[in-house]
Amino acid sequence: MPATNTDLLDRYLHAVKFWLPKAQQGDIIAELGEDLVSQVEEREAALGHKLDEDELAVILKKRGSPMRVASSYLPEQRLINPAMLPVYRLVLKIVLCWVYVPLFAFVFLGPVMAFARPGHALLVCVVEYWRAAFMTVGIVTAFFALLDRYQVKFQHAESWNPRKLPRIPGVQDTRARWNHLAGFIFGLAAAAFWASLMWQRSEFSLSSGTRLILSPMCQQMYWPVLGLTLVSAFFDLVSALYPRWARVRSRARIGIDACMLVIVAVLLKAGNFAELAGGNFSAVDQAARVAWFNGWIAYTLIAVAVVTLGDAIYEARFLLRGKPAKPAPLLTT
Amino acid sequence: MHTNGANSELFDNLRLELRRGCLVVAVLAELRTEHYGYALRKALADQGLAIDENTLYPLLRRLESQGLLASEWREEEKRNKRFYHLSPLGEEVLHDLLAEWQQMNSALERILGGGDAASAAQSGRQPTEKK
Repeated sequence: MPATNTDLLDRYLHAVKFWLPKAQQGDIIAELGEDLVSQVEEREAALGHKLDEDELAVILKKRGSPMRVASSYLPEQRLINPAMLPVYRLVLKIVLCWVYVPLFAFVFLGPVMAFARPGHALLVCVVEYWRAAFMTVGIVTAFFALLDRYQVKFQHAESWNPRKLPRIPGVQDTRARWNHLAGFIFGLAAAAFWASLMWQRSEFSLSSGTRLILSPMCQQMYWPVLGLTLVSAFFDLVSALYPRWARVRSRARIGIDACMLVIVAVLLKAGNFAELAGGNFSAVDQAARVAWFNGWIAYTLIAVAVVTLGDAIYEARFLLRGKPAKPAPLLTT
Repeated sequence: MHTNGANSELFDNLRLELRRGCLVVAVLAELRTEHYGYALRKALADQGLAIDENTLYPLLRRLESQGLLASEWREEEKRNKRFYHLSPLGEEVLHDLLAEWQQMNSALERILGGGDAASAAQSGRQPTEKK
């Protein structure tokens, strides 16, 4: 074999060796080299002359790139057990779509609305979301990879009992389950938003030194509103986990709606929600702004009351309608 | 005949699956006689079963690590070559695999024969006799 060919072959074998595990390098390369030399000799015998560099390159090209050849000797590897993939996807879906999206929407809703540059606040929100999402995907993937690496088996997969399979949900139940789950997540996010925004807060600083001072009645409503939101979220969670308890949840919702209507009524009766202080406004201008703000809050509360009343009527109708019909069986005889 | 594109890719994947098990049986059977890698590949190709080098050598290593083959480096024609042959465990496994293969082949022949008879009945022909 010409020296240039020996050099090319050596370079090829060296490149393959790079990708192989150390313990097997010598053995595999010796066998691969022997096979390639046999091929070259056979080709030379067929052509009746020594192969030039181009002809040897054709043989090497046909054998495949060094990385591909080396990878064929390596055991098949996986990051996550295929049997766990449905659970992996479900966890990511819940965290990324059902927890992070509403959470980020609530956390950044205020800044986006209040900032002088809402576009910038929105950009920060998107960047932070992707940062959190990438970190979460990494952590969840590493967790599942560790489960696979240490061959953690779940008792449930080995010892499941067909008689304990969940009942077939009715069409209405299935739809309601997603509604309840969404209600739970939004309820939690709303509670977190309310708790962080209003905790021991008696006033808000606005632009140009103006302060918005909350009325004592507004401050007294901190715990009732927080408690009601959490109770509502709790019943939504229970309903999502146990769709059969939808009627219990409906009764609870009617009670929660009634409490909410009472809170709205008390606030509306009080009438004055906030005062403005500071800022370079004339007395007339300031009075107009306060009137506008209190009017806006009053209309918002009336809207909340209408929605709450609508929800209570909907739940009452659900209770009066009776139990949903069973779905048609999948098996036909 | 299979067509180009997606169907061709589908056919290639199915063909690969079909060949995978057969290759193991063929390699084990051929190694009842001692061969080194290159000679084994030639022997299989001469009998109509061409096998890619990047499939054969890793397969040989896997079968050896499973104890079905044994190998030794020996000098032949002034070059060191690795010779493979069937181990005692490999002989037992090959025997069982061949029995399984024959059972599967008979079943397939019956199924294909049944299909032939059914299609012949549909078109009003006599089914072709099995040879």
